Amino acid sequence: MLDSNYKKRAMIKYIKNTSKILILPAIGLSVLFSCSDLEVEETDSLLVENFEGIETAEEAASSVTAMYNQINGYIGDQTNLFALSEVTTDELLVPTRGSDWGDNGIWRQLHQHTWTPDHSYITNVWNQWNELQLTASEVLDSRSASSEASRADAAFLRALGMYVILDNYGQVPYRDTTADPLDDPAVLTGNEAVDFIVADLETAISTLPATTPDGETVMASKSAARYLLAKVLLNKHIFNGSGAADSADMNRVVSLVDEITGDGFGLVPGYFDIFKSDTDEETIFWVKTSVGNRIWNGLHYNLTTPDQAGGWNGFSTLAEFYDLFEGDPNTNEEGGDQEERRGYVPSAGKPAGIPGTTDKDSDGIADGSNIGFGFLLGQQYAPDGTPLNDRGTSPLNFTRDFTDATNGEKSLVENSEVTGIRVIKYHPQYGEFAEHEIFFRYSDAHLMKAEAIMRSGGDPTTLVNELRVLRGAEPLAAVTEQDLLDERGRELYAEFWRRNDMIRFGQYTKDWEFKDPSAIGDANKQLFPIPASQIILNPNLVQNPGY
Amino acid sequence: MKIMLLRNLVMVAAFLGFGIAQAQDVSGTVSDASGPLPGASVVIKGSTTGAQTDFDGNYALSDVPEGSTLVFSYIGFASQEVPVNGQSTINVTLQEDAQALDEVVIIGYGTTTVKDATGSVTAVKAEDFNGGVIASPEQLIQGKSAGVQISQSSGEPGAGVNIRIRGANSIRSNNNPLFVVDGVPLSGESTTPNGGDIVNGGNATKNPLSFINPSDIESISILKDASATAIYGSRGANGVVIVTTKSGKAGSGGNWEFNSTFSVSSPADEYDLFDGPTFISQSANLRSQEIADGLDFGQNTDWQDYITRNTASQNQNLAYSNNYGSGNVRATFSYGKQFGIIQKSSQERITGRVNVAQRFLDDKLRINFQSTLSRVNDEAPPISGASGSSGNLIGAAYAANPTWPSSSTFSIDGNLVNPANYLANWQSETHTDRFLANLSAEYDITENLTGKISVGYDRSDAQAISVISPRIRNFDRVVDNGQAAFNTLEATSKLLEATLNYKKEFSNSTLDAIAGFTFQDFQRQGIDSQGWGTSINNLDKIGQNLKQSIYDLRYSIKSPYQQFGYDASNSFVNSLNPFNDAGTLAGRSSSFRSAWGNAFDNTDELQSFFGRINYSLNSKYLFTVTLRADGSSRFGTNNKYGYFPSGAFAWQLAEEDFIGDAFSTLKLRVSAGSTGNQEGLGYANYLKRVRFSTPSIDNDGSINRPGTETVAVQNSDLKWESTTDYNLGIDFGFADDRFNGSIDLYRRETKDLLFRQPAAAPAFDPFKFTNLEDGTLINQGVELGLNYDFIQSEDVNFSTSFNIAYNDNTVEGLKGATADFGVLNGPGLTGAFAQRLGEGRSLFSYYMATYSEDADGNPNFNADDKDFVDEDAVPDITTGLALNLTVKNWDVSAFFTGQFGFSVYNNTANAFLNAAAFNTSRNVTPEALELQSSEVSTLYLEKGDFVRMQNASIGYNVPLSGKGALNSLRLSLTGQNLFLITDYSGLDPEVSSSTSSDGDFTGGIPSQGIDYTSFPRPRTFTLGINARF
Repeated sequence: MLDSNYKKRAMIKYIKNTSKILILPAIGLSVLFSCSDLEVEETDSLLVENFEGIETAEEAASSVTAMYNQINGYIGDQTNLFALSEVTTDELLVPTRGSDWGDNGIWRQLHQHTWTPDHSYITNVWNQWNELQLTASEVLDSRSASSEASRADAAFLRALGMYVILDNYGQVPYRDTTADPLDDPAVLTGNEAVDFIVADLETAISTLPATTPDGETVMASKSAARYLLAKVLLNKHIFNGSGAADSADMNRVVSLVDEITGDGFGLVPGYFDIFKSDTDEETIFWVKTSVGNRIWNGLHYNLTTPDQAGGWNGFSTLAEFYDLFEGDPNTNEEGGDQEERRGYVPSAGKPAGIPGTTDKDSDGIADGSNIGFGFLLGQQYAPDGTPLNDRGTSPLNFTRDFTDATNGEKSLVENSEVTGIRVIKYHPQYGEFAEHEIFFRYSDAHLMKAEAIMRSGGDPTTLVNELRVLRGAEPLAAVTEQDLLDERGRELYAEFWRRNDMIRFGQYTKDWEFKDPSAIGDANKQLFPIPASQIILNPNLVQNPGY
Repeated sequence: MKIMLLRNLVMVAAFLGFGIAQAQDVSGTVSDASGPLPGASVVIKGSTTGAQTDFDGNYALSDVPEGSTLVFSYIGFASQEVPVNGQSTINVTLQEDAQALDEVVIIGYGTTTVKDATGSVTAVKAEDFNGGVIASPEQLIQGKSAGVQISQSSGEPGAGVNIRIRGANSIRSNNNPLFVVDGVPLSGESTTPNGGDIVNGGNATKNPLSFINPSDIESISILKDASATAIYGSRGANGVVIVTTKSGKAGSGGNWEFNSTFSVSSPADEYDLFDGPTFISQSANLRSQEIADGLDFGQNTDWQDYITRNTASQNQNLAYSNNYGSGNVRATFSYGKQFGIIQKSSQERITGRVNVAQRFLDDKLRINFQSTLSRVNDEAPPISGASGSSGNLIGAAYAANPTWPSSSTFSIDGNLVNPANYLANWQSETHTDRFLANLSAEYDITENLTGKISVGYDRSDAQAISVISPRIRNFDRVVDNGQAAFNTLEATSKLLEATLNYKKEFSNSTLDAIAGFTFQDFQRQGIDSQGWGTSINNLDKIGQNLKQSIYDLRYSIKSPYQQFGYDASNSFVNSLNPFNDAGTLAGRSSSFRSAWGNAFDNTDELQSFFGRINYSLNSKYLFTVTLRADGSSRFGTNNKYGYFPSGAFAWQLAEEDFIGDAFSTLKLRVSAGSTGNQEGLGYANYLKRVRFSTPSIDNDGSINRPGTETVAVQNSDLKWESTTDYNLGIDFGFADDRFNGSIDLYRRETKDLLFRQPAAAPAFDPFKFTNLEDGTLINQGVELGLNYDFIQSEDVNFSTSFNIAYNDNTVEGLKGATADFGVLNGPGLTGAFAQRLGEGRSLFSYYMATYSEDADGNPNFNADDKDFVDEDAVPDITTGLALNLTVKNWDVSAFFTGQFGFSVYNNTANAFLNAAAFNTSRNVTPEALELQSSEVSTLYLEKGDFVRMQNASIGYNVPLSGKGALNSLRLSLTGQNLFLITDYSGLDPEVSSSTSSDGDFTGGIPSQGIDYTSFPRPRTFTLGINARF
């Protein structure tokens, strides 16, 4: 390993070191006559005894860069916010397969609604999105030399951070950056919290750039801020506990969505194409994080591509959720009678040459094109069309039900490798680790508008059917609350909104398969507990009821 | 002039004392077994008149009163008294010291003797060191002192060593004692960068003490109680280990010594995994024939055997020493290479040492210089304790299907790793150069007052390169891309020390006082870097390419920078001072598709004032008082300085008439004091510090330009952890100390525990460092050490020494603060942990579900129903037993260690060796099939009690005529880790591999008692030869 160059360097170093012996006494004496003040110097980091504002516009801009990088991490993985938003619902669950995915029970607790205040994802989400708020507050501090553009981004990002905390925990600690850092943060709840977030978003809407769909939608824009404001207003009656939507707020939701439309965003056909990395009018705000977690989490180990040695065989959905879609409940083969959004399982790979795909193994088949879209049920196939097996020799045949591999009874633990319908929205053939995860999407805004109309007494049927027809589903004669929730589920599955939607439609506490009986009907589960250590650290926090 | 005056006074005293006495001249030669002894002291008993022997061991005294007795002494030798009786020539041969109690013991900033020590101090001399393959100094004294628990974290060559002196005093810090080598206190931090996490967790850092050649060590002192350690103030809380290297004391005219050892090692134990045919038949029986058919690849590979090996290691050591009267010199050179019993693990060490002592100006000025230069090359297999679901190499070998071919190109889809592929496509090497030097000048300002100035310089320069080649399989992002990490660490410490020492003997008392100032700084700088995406498969070449690429990129940047990097489409250079986050690289490396580098440079300073007074009255009552004021740059403005006082009293009861003659030694020692600890805290964690966050390469190879983040939060109240220590000890001896021993009782309370806790949100991550307000960590215990010489005769000697210690560890005053630790890794164990901090409990208390079964033997418990299970990972009892037999030229020794009263979490079984693992097509042992649950529970928690035969050796001193070139010749055979008695089901219950990383929820709290695919301990036999000529 050592090349001669290295040896030479070592030799030179030896000589250098040896000569240093001679200057040792000199060093010693010079130190002797200068008692140290024991202050550290800025050799390694920028040092501040007390925060008094960010000193330069460049440093503030760098903080903004860091915040965008941070939310990439917060959104990108399968844990934390994604897990709290999806695995706690009827949309996703992670059964324990052999010893895999036991993970100290963290996945089961989420799906069963038996989490406790020390659940690590509950702690992480609290820490992460609150940190985002604090970084944003420093940029927004009046003493900071932040540019207007940085302040606009920070206003949006602080609102986003506080919204996530309010939505999940019902109370938002707020740290005033001008106060002593050891002071206990104030805690905002209800309308106070909503007003704070709304004020930041109004600032963001007025100061952020008006980005069009082909612009930099990876950064916040007026449309992203409007989308988030619409989301906050739509949920306001949940956040403040009033129980009923205010029609002024609903009207504002409608006008906000119309303003988003005005900037060029709209519904586009080709459901699974939306999740490719290229720009489209649906994507209002995306984050530059790998979609690999969205893809590989559910796929079986033996569903591989030339670049990826297979999935991680975890996430699946409940049959009862799958059954919300039109089509034969027992199969999802290509060319069946299912609606577009349910996707399909191909019986073989597609010929190479599809735009955006590769053929690294030169087998004439687009890499990964044997893997299905949407919901994977039943037998899965290799690129050449041969039926795949699991890691034994059993057919890789995903089942609707979750059963104990030894006794065949329905169970969340001791599952085999093939139980459960798998969910895949982003697709490996378009880049298995493409850095393009959509966070805010126009069809969500579209359905928010429909919901706002419905909650203020209007009829959303036209708007809902507009979307349904575009997605190749049968139009509905009339749209009930249940229809609207189901429609949101069909359109937005695995996009972070299921928990929020189910709470707003009063269905988060209903029974679903494997939910713990004690949690059924327990309204306390609509908020996560404040992490145990935080209750001790900040006496202004009050633990949510039921924990 | 003063000496003349004194001499005259003595003369007068002598005249008065002896009446009309005749004076005479006496001269002669003082020798030891190997020849004349320069520098030995000859004193007229009862006076201060005396002389030192010259270069040839000769002395001359004039005006020696009649009836006088001469006292001949030399450090390390028994004093001899010879009545003059009119002789004019007295030649004396001094014998090496057999009397333990007169042994000189090195203590902080001075020396004492066992007899005069007031504190709890154990000195271990070279002849009592452990033999065999010794990688670092701690191993020399393993088990030699009561209450000192020393364990190597694994069987890996150069693995870190954990030392606990009287238990763990801190939640966060590594709890290792302060090491002082020839007066230079070493930094407690590692000298090697971590291996860089390129896939599956980074490797652990290496033992920073490997740079010391064990053969150079003369003695090791262990300071245990506050009375002994308070002189080291803020760094004394975990005890102090003082290493003194050999000087050229013996043998004028030059002596050569050659040591050579040759060792063979093999795994001491291994798992009884299924072989290929059994694995298939069991799969058919327990799963299905169909599955078994699918698993059968037709081969029969013993994967455990594949990754392990029997090794031969060697060590050569050549020393020259010369004592020429006014000074002495000793120089050594050594080369050793130790191979680990897992493939691709080794440690190569090359050291040179020069120690010089010279006396000037009638011996009033003494210059001492000690220096060592070393090169340590470590090679490590992929065995990170933090590796996740794929397991590290060892886990992969346990789990691998035994019917797979042992081919490095074989792989199957999925996440089951082929160990052969993993091993063939991984390389991790660390090179560490270290230079440690200490130069001191000591001057006798007056007869009683000595001033000393010393400077120390310690620099290590280390580079670690870890490489994964594109041919690796089953590790997502590196397949076909490869990745490498190149990390450097240059750690430099400069020490300045000035002391004044006043010693005076009064008629019935003596005073020894010292006052001093020291300043030490610790600079750490270097760069972490990674490259991803290479088309080359040669591991050496990939590593060299990265190193070259990073050098090239660094030199292409003309301005200061913190970090730089590039990917396929962008590049960036970020600088903090001046602030610039818009820089780009002029070019990029053709060797990697993406790469980044991130530099660091920080300096800690420590400035201290200290003093100590030793006062002895009538040789019966001994008093010691010390005080140290330590200022550290690691603490906030409000608590920059900490003050650490201690006091001790010892009473030589044996000297009292009322005790009588039953005891040859009886000494009572009482001490109390305060010491501190700052190791749990890193650089400048009391300020708001902002840096660019560490770059990372995403799965598609892209790197986002990092922005700034807050990495520490201001807290100007941050202060030292302080440990208050009380010690009560009794030393006793009977029959001229043929049977002797000591008992110590102690209680230590550590307050202001440094804790990295989540700040009240919104807060920055990493979390905030605080002192737990009322948090107290209490260690209390009792230690007993016994020595007995059963047989003392001309030809046969048989002696034994035994030590045992009990320690109780409790945490109190947490007020709800808590932390989880004992991170568990492996398949299905993401986010799992086994231990929690609990009020009124020991550190490392286990916290998990209690396992139970139904009548059919199926698991029947709720894994989420966790609680403390009243077990912890800290041994209550540690013990050691040594037996030494000498028969003429033969000597035989055996040494046993034991630890009792602790539990080990068998994470290896929880992750790999259980029925659920078998059901996911992983290989297991027959016993594993009984383990039906893979949840974290007491099913995997086992008693760790063990007794180990640590060491046994037989030696033969070849009788020589003394006429030839050889002065002595010794042959020896040593066996290490010969057997282990334990009920623990894993390979070895003595585990301390770290399973936590900075990134996980424990916030860097080290783990203890978690057995996760530990590097197996070897059984080693060593043949040694020692020749002096």
